[in-house]
Amino acid sequence: MMETLVYIALFAPFAGSLFAALFGMGKRQVFVGIVASALLFISFVASVMLAIYVVKTGTPIHVMMMEWINAGDIRIPFGFVVDQVSVTMMVVVTLVSTVVHIYSIGYMDHDKSFNRFFSYLSAFVFSMLVLVMSDNFLGLFIGWEGVGVCSWLLVGFWYHKPDQPREVNPSISPSWAANEAFIMNRIADLGMLIGIFIIYWNTGTLQYDEVFAQLPYLPQWILDAAAIALFIGAMGKSAQFPLHTWLTDAMEGPTPVSALIHAATMVTAGVFLVIRANPLFAMTPEVSFFIAALGTFVAFFAASMALVNRDLKRIIAFSTLSQLGYMFAAAGLGAYWIALFHLAAHAFFKALLFLGAGNVMHAMHDELDIFKMGGLKKVMKWTYLYMGIASLALAGIPPFAGFFSKDAIIETAFNEGTYVLWIILVVTAGMTAFYSFRQVFLTFWGDERYKQYGIHPHEMYKFVLVAMSPLAVLAIIAGFFQPWFHEFITTLLPDYEMSHHTHELILVLTAIVLAFAVGGIALAYKMYAKGLKRDPKVENSFIYRLLANQYYIPQLYEEMISKPYAMISEALWQKVDLKIVDATVDTIAKFFYYTGDGVRKMQTGNLSNYLNWMAVGGVALLVVAALSAVIG
Amino acid sequence: MIGLEHYLIVSAILFSIGLVGVLRRRNLLMLFFATEVMLNAVNIAFAAISHYYNDLTGQMFAFFIIAIAASEVAVGLGILIVLYKKYGSLDLDDLASMKG
Amino acid sequence: MENILSILVFFPAVAGLLGFVVDKKSARAYGITVAAIEFLLSLWLWFSFDSANAGMQFVEMIPLIPDFGVSYYLGVDGISLFIVIMATLMTLIGMMSMSIKENVKNMIVTLLFLEMTMVGVFVALDAIIFYLFWELSLVPMLYIVGAWGGPLRVYAAIKFFLYTFAGSLIMLVGLLFMAYVYHNLTGVWSFAITDWYAMVLPVNYQLWLFAAFFIGFAIKVPMFPFHTWLPYAHGQAPTIGSVILAAVLLKMGTYGFVRFSLPMFPDASVMAITPIAFISIIMIIYTAMVAYAQKDIKQVIAYSSVSHMGIIMLGLFAMNAEGISGSVFQMLAHGIVSGALFMLVGMIYDRMHTKEMSKFGGIAAVMPKYAVIFGIMTMASVGLPLTMGFVGEFLVLLGFYEISPIMTILAGTSIILGAVYMLSVLKKTFFGPITNEAVKKLKDLTPLETWSLVPLVLIVIWLGVYPKPVLEPIDNSVKAMLTFMHEKAITPEAKEIIKVPQTIMEVK
Repeated sequence: MMETLVYIALFAPFAGSLFAALFGMGKRQVFVGIVASALLFISFVASVMLAIYVVKTGTPIHVMMMEWINAGDIRIPFGFVVDQVSVTMMVVVTLVSTVVHIYSIGYMDHDKSFNRFFSYLSAFVFSMLVLVMSDNFLGLFIGWEGVGVCSWLLVGFWYHKPDQPREVNPSISPSWAANEAFIMNRIADLGMLIGIFIIYWNTGTLQYDEVFAQLPYLPQWILDAAAIALFIGAMGKSAQFPLHTWLTDAMEGPTPVSALIHAATMVTAGVFLVIRANPLFAMTPEVSFFIAALGTFVAFFAASMALVNRDLKRIIAFSTLSQLGYMFAAAGLGAYWIALFHLAAHAFFKALLFLGAGNVMHAMHDELDIFKMGGLKKVMKWTYLYMGIASLALAGIPPFAGFFSKDAIIETAFNEGTYVLWIILVVTAGMTAFYSFRQVFLTFWGDERYKQYGIHPHEMYKFVLVAMSPLAVLAIIAGFFQPWFHEFITTLLPDYEMSHHTHELILVLTAIVLAFAVGGIALAYKMYAKGLKRDPKVENSFIYRLLANQYYIPQLYEEMISKPYAMISEALWQKVDLKIVDATVDTIAKFFYYTGDGVRKMQTGNLSNYLNWMAVGGVALLVVAALSAVIG
Repeated sequence: MIGLEHYLIVSAILFSIGLVGVLRRRNLLMLFFATEVMLNAVNIAFAAISHYYNDLTGQMFAFFIIAIAASEVAVGLGILIVLYKKYGSLDLDDLASMKG
Repeated sequence: MENILSILVFFPAVAGLLGFVVDKKSARAYGITVAAIEFLLSLWLWFSFDSANAGMQFVEMIPLIPDFGVSYYLGVDGISLFIVIMATLMTLIGMMSMSIKENVKNMIVTLLFLEMTMVGVFVALDAIIFYLFWELSLVPMLYIVGAWGGPLRVYAAIKFFLYTFAGSLIMLVGLLFMAYVYHNLTGVWSFAITDWYAMVLPVNYQLWLFAAFFIGFAIKVPMFPFHTWLPYAHGQAPTIGSVILAAVLLKMGTYGFVRFSLPMFPDASVMAITPIAFISIIMIIYTAMVAYAQKDIKQVIAYSSVSHMGIIMLGLFAMNAEGISGSVFQMLAHGIVSGALFMLVGMIYDRMHTKEMSKFGGIAAVMPKYAVIFGIMTMASVGLPLTMGFVGEFLVLLGFYEISPIMTILAGTSIILGAVYMLSVLKKTFFGPITNEAVKKLKDLTPLETWSLVPLVLIVIWLGVYPKPVLEPIDNSVKAMLTFMHEKAITPEAKEIIKVPQTIMEVK
């Protein structure tokens, strides 16, 4: 019975994808979207039923579908495990996906590739479920690459758009952004593969439980190497510095895609991997600390870029990056359950935020510049409400979800005694509040700047707004489940408790974080609530331009990696392959050819010449014979 | 006393004359004559050496060569006549259609 | 059917001879029928193949020159079985999708002869018979490139022929010397490969022989720096020629390594690991970069072939069952995927009469079916899990990791660089706005084209999801080979590196 549910949860999205693919090249059919959404809903229901089962019994469900790769001594099956961690992910993924699917029926209603969109979107959910449900590292890798390719398809969904200079469109074009995302992820995937190799050759298996059972017997450097390699993989998927540039460029995809893939689910795969492999990371304190430090850095780094950005979706993308940094900070510090909790809470409010942004885009005819918006709360009441809730949650204002999860992470940093990380995370919390509300105020408050551009915004369809409501509810209440979630998840994940000392200070700590958050909002209110006041002096300052250009990192990659790579490739082809390697071969061939051509002149057709040559030959033979007689 | 060396020297001189003829002459007929000279030079050497060793094989071989030279001339002259009829010349420089 | 292998080898040739009397108009149908029968025969071979038996099966042996131990000796094991099936499949699919209009009959006859030589190479167990088919396979290919090729066809064809021929002559010397050594050791002549397997050679002999065979095989693979004939041959060959060349003929080289070099010279092979891995890594990275620089879509696929052959070579010298099985599997994957890619390129060439990527752009919008199939094959080519390409590439890299982690990381860049050049092909060809008027008028795949590609798509996905039916027989034979190499190795280093799998088959 439970096995069937596992398969239903897993394969319903796949069926939806295939169904939509059947109509993929045809005209827009609303029922395609409805069927795909319904199948996802089924998957969601099955996931919830599995969750209830796991909560009740506390035992994981393990199913072995079939063998996959058997060669040499390696045995890799398609096996799926539904335990506390994976079931949490399943519920989050299927819930957000269902909402995004329904949302997309409204959002994509004018797109001629409507059916194709649902095919990709459902395929993505399937891959994501494979990723979280697999019981071995290679199964995870299938999902890992699967979500990568779906992300590639969806970011490049509007493939017909032309390339533009970086000044006009920072992500150049959807197809460019899609390729960038795929290739950057591939770089990280190599690290992941190496991690898998290290694990296989040292433990002889890739099944999670068997690997983890053997970890205590491995030397420390192998554990470190495996943890580093796996984390490199996680860095790619979760867009951690220096592999982060693809995430903001991936905003070229349709907004539901950004909500589902580049906020709620796929980008959290890296965090999921660290949580999943927690026995490994728990045994490698140095690597874990590096993860925490990098996470903290990314949290701050991304938030700083969000402060000045004008693109609605990019701001949210930077905030996603920043929040992923928080999750890694928690996971790196050993608070795996807190990381997972923040992952789930973040999925809800970030998806909501993105979908709200999608509504704004829909209303503004794909305009994304928040400097051209303003005063939208009058026409888009519900969207305003949703985005407000989501931003409050993101800023960490109680009683919204983000408060509970993010506050726990910041407390962890304090509790671990890593005060530098703690300070950075607290400051980042203030920045988060600032840029979230800068965006809210610039979009929904103040003067109606859009009127200058002749745009007539309108509220999104009713059913879309209704479909978004579960996310809004969860963004508000998810935090209250924290104690319950803690109890549930720590049956599998290692528990993390604050020390006595931290407990005493908890009110002070919370107050500090809250002060920063409220301060950020207040600052945003002061600066932007009355409308947009642009200060050219600030905008031309070095720091502003540095932040607005993402620290010039995309340009740096372009100049230091892409262009040299293309140049070296061209040189290797023109100079080395054609001029050296091939030319050598041709020279050898030409040597024989020209020798023959030169000797051909002997063949004059004149008998007396031939006779002369014959005499020469005879004399030569005589000389040889005489010489050999003398020498021999 | 005329010894073996003298015969061999004559033979060598004759052979060289023949060889020079083969190399220098342009007329096919003269080439034939030159080859005949060379063959006969060899014949002299054969006969002389045969006598020196008291072994008749060499003289026998000289007869063979005479027979072969005769038949060669017979066939060769026939070809020459045909060639002359066809091209009106026996000059080798004119008969160079096999140029590679 | 006792002599199924003889039938498999000579049926296409006999049918090819008969093809001369077939009417010109029905030549193509005739060819497809023959190829289909041949393919079904090869499937029957698989059906009656005993997967648990790692040794040679369907063995046929007729002494030809008993005094010199030359005999007509055929057999298949898990390693060669699937390459034979792939050869017959690709011939069939290639013929189905063939777009050549002139001299169709000659082409069909040539292809059928080529099929004989291809099957012959992979089932021959006598070195002379092997060499015979090996060299014979050059002739039909020479003709295909030289007669139906592009403007530089004569240069390309002669380069292909002379280059590979020169290499195989050195291999012939090796073969003869091998037989001579066998004669010295045992007092009888034999050219049977299985007899040679049993012979333990001193290390210096092994090294010389390994070198002789290496040159013959390396040019065929083609390994860097012997690869330059390949872009010309592919660039000039008609589509069908490229398909067969990439899918089957290149595999002869790597097959040669598994059939001759590894089991006959285990010690020399172990010593050659580092140099060969080095060359393979150059092949992987260098040709991937050169592929990225190409303007012509067919050249990209041609150079990518070299890059993928680097992966295959690396796997062969992993000296463990994971690597070698993965490598043999990758031969099949590369054959099918690159064959399909060449077919796809040919289809666009038939429509546009150019292969310049700058003339394309935005094709996805006008040819969606074509774009989907191209996309799937691209993903298989870059080794996406659940496609055939992944299984092989993963096993190869996994296997080689045991030899050298650093080299594996370098070779692993293939998954990045492969994505770089293939995705840039997709972007330049399929995405972006339509800039060329001719692109707007393009028609999507015809049913015939679709149906010749769909089977390949299905195979790529089927064997990516469930590789067991193919991987298991390969693996069994590879394990047997490794066990036997381990026993045979003389030097302690070789004994240590050649890894006998712990799970030897249950059934011997």
